[in-house]
Amino acid sequence: MPGHVGSDYETLRPEFKVIPDPYSGKDVLLVPAIVPDVSFIHALQADAEGNLRLEEKEDDVLLARASRVVVASAEEIVDADTLRRAPYGLRLSGIYVAALVHVPGGAHPTACRGRYGIDEAHITEYLELAKSDDTFRTYLQRHVFDLKDHTAYLAEAGLGALAA
Amino acid sequence: MAAVIAREVRDRETVAVGTLSPIPAAGVLLASRRHAPRATVIIINHDDHWPFHDGSKEFYDFAQRGKLDLFFLSGGQIDQFGNLNLITIGEHDHPWIRLPGGAGSAMLYYLVRRVILFRTDHTPRTFVERVDCLTSPGSSPPRVFRPGGPWKVVTPLAVLAFNRESRRLELESVHPGISVTQVQSATGFSLLAPREVPTTPPPTEEDLAILRGPVRESVAKLYPIFARTAFLAA
Repeated sequence: MPGHVGSDYETLRPEFKVIPDPYSGKDVLLVPAIVPDVSFIHALQADAEGNLRLEEKEDDVLLARASRVVVASAEEIVDADTLRRAPYGLRLSGIYVAALVHVPGGAHPTACRGRYGIDEAHITEYLELAKSDDTFRTYLQRHVFDLKDHTAYLAEAGLGALAA
Repeated sequence: MAAVIAREVRDRETVAVGTLSPIPAAGVLLASRRHAPRATVIIINHDDHWPFHDGSKEFYDFAQRGKLDLFFLSGGQIDQFGNLNLITIGEHDHPWIRLPGGAGSAMLYYLVRRVILFRTDHTPRTFVERVDCLTSPGSSPPRVFRPGGPWKVVTPLAVLAFNRESRRLELESVHPGISVTQVQSATGFSLLAPREVPTTPPPTEEDLAILRGPVRESVAKLYPIFARTAFLAA
């Protein structure tokens, strides 16, 4: 990792090591790779083999390839041919994916390209209620426990059309 | 601040703007519509200004190869040596504020040729004698691979410049209506300043028209709330 040398990362993170770069002789910082046990990622589309079409602005491919187990959710399940022909999006082969769940609206309250935008009101509410454990319980009650299922969640979020 | 930032953008350069940076985004977009039409403008995740297809990873790889001329960072604390703190304020193990963390800053601060620091406030709490935790140093010994570093600091009160010889921040100009004394009392370290401190030139009518027109429209694609609230009517 270039940079970082001389910062407090050297002491705060003992697993980071400064060594001379064998090629230039200059000091560089080595950072061990992160290997998540499980990663959860949300796809624009997926096929029955678990092949995914992902948002290009996210680092889902990097995350998935680094992880031991990948659980994916997808806005839509489509046939393999439709997935192949889609113009936009990063592809992740199904060989990385352990499980796939069809979850329309699964990125809400954040945005999903071509499907829905950011839910500003919901995020504002979340930021307010996430300030303490007590108020966060209110959030969970309102948006998780009081709702019968995901269809009810989508209806409340104004995304009822996606559930159809 | 956006107009001051715009002046630092040079034509034909590659300029990038990271997350939570609507003011630098506005400044860079102003420059690209005025004196720097051939600058390559990268604004993280902006539909019109994001050339990458492999997430932020591709952006960081691009930056690590030394391809950025200008970038913008901020800090929970900034000290007289241009050191940044984005980790914790107070004692590290018992901080009274936990900041978001350095993210790419400790790489970008070294690799981007010129880095402009910005703050929307200018207080002794932010501009400190010495940072509590050193996320990214302002300068490094020659043994360290470091082609870039701090260039200027832009705040609502003044512009500071980083002197690469003395490795210290120096007062470059004060904004119209602001005195050197005011800037000094808002700064937690003693300011190095020339005997006569110039006044920052205010934005021109043309600057304001571009900012309130096309720049605001473009910024709104990424920062809708900022675009609604920050651009004062003429």
